[in-house]
Formats: sequence, C-alpha cells, structure tokens
Amino acid sequence: MMPQSTSEPADTTTRDGAAGARPPSPLARLGRLLLHDRVALLVLLLAVLVAWMKVLDRGGYLLGPYDAAYMAAALESFVPLCILALAEMLVILSGRGGIDLSVGAMVSLTGMAFGFMVGEWGWPLWPSLVAALAFGTALGAVNGFLVAVLGFPSLIATLATGYAYSSLALVSHDNAPISTKPVQDLHDLTSMVRLPLGLPPVPRQFFTFLLPCAVLVWLLVNRTAFGRRLYAVGTNETAARYAALSVGGVRFRAFALAGLLSGVAAVVTVGQFASARPDAGTVGNGMALPAITIAVLGGVAITGGVGRVGGVIVAALLVVWLNAGILLYFEGSAGSRYQLLALGVLLIASTLLNAVAGRRRRRRTR
Amino acid sequence: MTALARPWTRRPAAGAIEGQEAVLIGVIALLWTALGLSVDTFFTASNLQNILATVAPVTIVGVGMTAVIVTAGIDVSVGSTMAVVMVIVAQQLRDGGLAFAPAVGLALLVGGVLGLINGALVGYGRVHPIIITFGTLNLYRFVALQIFGGREVAGVPGTLGPLGGGAEGRTFGLPHSWLLAVALAALMWAYMRHVPTGRHLYAIGGDAEAARLAGVRVTRRLLTVYAVTGLLAGLAACCMIGGGGLVAQSAGTGMELQVIAAVVIGGTSIQGGRGTVLGTVLGALLVGTVTSAVTLLSWPNELTSLFIGVFILVAVGSDLLRERRRRSL
Repeated sequence: MMPQSTSEPADTTTRDGAAGARPPSPLARLGRLLLHDRVALLVLLLAVLVAWMKVLDRGGYLLGPYDAAYMAAALESFVPLCILALAEMLVILSGRGGIDLSVGAMVSLTGMAFGFMVGEWGWPLWPSLVAALAFGTALGAVNGFLVAVLGFPSLIATLATGYAYSSLALVSHDNAPISTKPVQDLHDLTSMVRLPLGLPPVPRQFFTFLLPCAVLVWLLVNRTAFGRRLYAVGTNETAARYAALSVGGVRFRAFALAGLLSGVAAVVTVGQFASARPDAGTVGNGMALPAITIAVLGGVAITGGVGRVGGVIVAALLVVWLNAGILLYFEGSAGSRYQLLALGVLLIASTLLNAVAGRRRRRRTR
Repeated sequence: MTALARPWTRRPAAGAIEGQEAVLIGVIALLWTALGLSVDTFFTASNLQNILATVAPVTIVGVGMTAVIVTAGIDVSVGSTMAVVMVIVAQQLRDGGLAFAPAVGLALLVGGVLGLINGALVGYGRVHPIIITFGTLNLYRFVALQIFGGREVAGVPGTLGPLGGGAEGRTFGLPHSWLLAVALAALMWAYMRHVPTGRHLYAIGGDAEAARLAGVRVTRRLLTVYAVTGLLAGLAACCMIGGGGLVAQSAGTGMELQVIAAVVIGGTSIQGGRGTVLGTVLGALLVGTVTSAVTLLSWPNELTSLFIGVFILVAVGSDLLRERRRRSL
C-alpha cells in the first residue's frame, strides 16, 4: 500500500541544515543553526554534558566513574523511554492538540497481559510476544477511535483511558506482580551483550527492540505516503481535508501505532524487571510525562506537523545520560529529586525555545 | 464570538441550570438512590460528611481550574503546588507554632506565587499551557521534596482543624471546607457570568486573538486565572492538612487528574469558551460519590479510577453529541 524507497536511513541531521540564505557572520550563522536545527543544538548540549561530567569525574566530585561502561549501562533506561517518546512524536505530529497521556498505563496493562500469557498460561515466547504487541495496538486503537472517529479531544480521551487502563492493570492480578519462573527467564531478553573492538557491554534490548523501532518509525514518517499524510494533517487539517486525505484515518493510525510502540516498551520493561508489574508505567509520575518531555525537547511542536525522529532520539539520549550523571553527583535520594528539577527545566526551556523558533519561522515565511 | 454571546442569548426557559448540570444532578440522584438501597450505611451522617469533606479540596481547586480551562488553558501543576504549600505550612505549624490565620495567609501567599509563575510563563511565553505546567509540575515537586529533606513531616498540630474533616471542622453537621468550596464556587460563578472581566475569560477561550483585537487584556487575564488557581490550591492544601498528623512526601500527587476529571465531567469544554463552575461542583461530588461507593461496596479500590475514566468518557461524549446537535440546528 505504501511505496517504500530503497534508500538506507542515512544521517537525519543533514536534512535542512544547508537550506536558507547565507547569513553575514559565522557566529550569527551558528546561532541560527542552533535555533532552527534542533538536532545540532542537542548534539552540542550532549557534547557539553559529557565533557562536563568528564571534568567532574577527573576532579573526583562523582560517586563513581562516568565512563563508557557506565554510559552504556545507562542505555537500559534509554530503551523504553526512547520508544515511548517516538510514540508520543507520532501522536503529537498528527495535530489538533494531539497528545497521549495513556502510554504509561498502556505499558502497565500490556505488560500484565504479556505476563499472564508467559507466566500464567504458559504460552511460548514468540506467540505471546506477537499477542502482546497486538494487545498494545488494540489499546491504542481505542484511543484512536475516541479521538479520530468520535471527535474527543485527545487530552480528555487519553486521560480517561489512562485512568481505565491503569485501573485494569492493577485489578487484573490483585495489585501483585507476576513473577513466575517463565517471566523471570524473560530477563535474558534484556541481558548485556559483549561487543568487539573494546566497546563496553550494551543492553541487548538496544539492538533487538530499540534499533528496529527507530528505523521503522524513521522509514514510516520519512519514506512512506502515510508519513507525508501525517505531516500534512498535522500542519493544516483543513488543507489536508481539501486534498482528499482521510484525516480521521491518519490520526487513528497514529494513535494505534503509539499503542504498538507502548506494547514494545511493555515487553522490554517486563524483561528488565524480570516480572510483570501492574504499576510499571504509572508508578510515581509515570512514563507518559518523561516521554512527552523528550518529544518536546527533541523539537516536536505541540501544535503538530513539526518534528523529526533524529531529534527525539538525541533528546532521549541527553535526558538519560543527564539523569545518569545526576545519580553519580548526588548521594542518596537527592539524585532522584534533582532529576525532577532537570526534567522540569529542560521541558520549560525547550518549550520556550520551540515557541521562539516557531515565531521566527512564521515571520520569515510571511 | 458565540462563546462570548452565548450566556446572553440563552433560550428563555433555560436558567442557571441547563444541559450537563441537569444530567449530572440526575446521575448523582440515581447513584445516591441506588447506593442508599443497596448499602444501609450510605445515608448515615458520618458517611455523607466524609464524602463532602474529601470532595472539598477537589472542588476548591476545581473552581480555579474551571476558569483556567474556560480560557482554553490547563494547569496540571496544582498537585505539586499543593505539596509545596503543605510541606511549608506543616513545618511552620509544627516548628514555628503558627496560628490559624497566619497559616492560611502563608498558604495563600505560597500558592499564589507559584500560580503567578505559571501565569507569567503562559501569558508572556505564549506557549501551550499543558507543556509549561508539566514543567512546573516537576519543578514544584522538586521544591517540595527539597523542603521535605528526605523525610515526611510528622506530628503536625491540629491548628487547621476547623478546615479539616474532623469533628471541629463541622457546623450543623456540614464540613466547613465544603461550605467554603460552595461559597467560592458561587463567587466565581457570579464573577464569570456578570462581571465584564469574568466574561472576557470566555472570549479568550473562544478565540484569544479575536479577544485581544476586541480590547481584552489577554495576558493580564491569564496571569489572574493561573494565580487564582494557585491561591485556591494553597487553600485546598490547608483543608488537606486539617487536623494535622502526618504530611507524607507523596502529598498532592494525582490531584491534578482528579480536579481535571471533576471539571470535565462538569461539562466544561477542554477547548475553552464554555463551562460553568456549578458543573464542576457537581462533577467533584460525582467523583467523590464513586470513590465512596467503591469502598462501601468493598470492591477493590483500584476500580475507582476505572469508573472515573468511564464517567469522563460518558460526560464528554454526551456533551459532544449535544454540541453536534446544536450545530446542525
């Protein structure tokens, strides 16, 4: 149905860096690049962060070494966060205030379903994996139906389904985790793999779950007709309707895909904890909030139609390595407090930056 | 446009109560009758007092939240605001021996300042309020945890008891906190319906740019509604401290969702320009009834949020249907 280009997913950062008129001075050019190319800005911030942590490490301010092995191990929390941020990106891109507050609850509920299949009903791994992903997609499709077909505002629809899913996840197994032997064996899915060339060990799910998801989402939004329709609907719904696009259909699929990606994150989370926890995605502030934060930080405009996969991935990396660094700097529970501070400051700063960049873009095109 | 004109151009038969409010009163009456018949402890004074006392903080914050949502905004940081106020006031009550009035004043001050920060970011930054208040949700939670300093505040004296759910918090059997909530709701109702600046809130929610061109001071109005919501969150925090005892580090978490649920069930449109405070009072009462019903029927507590979710969908769905019919007329 969708024509797929054969080109490989090349470097996404070079897509619009070269566009635009030649500005007068190199400094102004750099400023403009950082304001308009979110990936360049994030890569710069990432470099600054790593360099700074290295300095702190040298100076002996850290509780442990902030080295390649530690950064690779931190990728464990990167995988589910990044997958969920990609899910949020798809939903936010579809426009009309699109947002999905229920991803955390979908992770909890799909994880419980996966736990039941593997741990209680004794299904083999592959059928339960496929069934869990289908289950997640169905949960997302409920959101999509409410928003795209019935016309609910997505904030309300996903607030309500988030309530419902998290409640069902808790009730399904009497508020207790499923951690029978077959579920514990799932931990193999997320063990560390040794790499050649002296590279540090990296969590397995990075290669088996995250990379395929990221590549597929990149292909989907950049190389398929659906991707173009998604940007079209998010940019201007009325124009898309006059261009005979099925606005509801596109939006419905965006929510269903978000459900599918939440299912993937759920499977990863179950493997990581070696148990299906009924509050896996909703405990504390939940997973939805960080996922939205990362999407916005990655340059996804909350008004829809603007956002790229590369930006989201680098933003997720920045947040995860920043959090990992904070844990090394502060002792005890202070670390998790300062993670909240970092998340809040990043979110507010990136939103204000998005607003400034968007205003300048509009002024230029006017 | 229509959002601004609607309250003046009501059908003559419709008074203060119409649409969603009438449906809500019906649903609550139905629920109470069913519960009264199936659980004999439902219509006891202590149970009803308990429902009203637990509903009061949600209603108080909901009064401000209704105004915010009518301007097409949202404030998801109220739970964290309440946490900051609760920890500061609780520590001052315990260590500083604060009296009733200064304690409430301190709560209002802290809540108002935090709300004003939200308002400034939304009003001057001109960015989407949900994202900004998600950010301040994290920031304020950090501030609260920092003041907690890694442990809960225990042994808070009962100075704020008159606002709490205990026996000294009632007159003629009615909780003061709920009476206060109703009084505030009445004030806000009158303001939004009869005072020009209150009516401007509907105009901003209908179309902020059109409202600005028509001479509405959009930034000033936005600053005010977010600051008022912060103030009310501070007041609600006083009700939550109430008789004293323990203030846990998780204070206020999830409050924003309860409040938004109450407002939305009450018929306020999340897209702005439409809604009343009366609906919010009833919406909060419905949420409180459901919570109490699940406990009384000894169902698992986790089911409460499932029912709240379903009620949100039904309430907003019926509102969408009515809106569609109104447009097709």
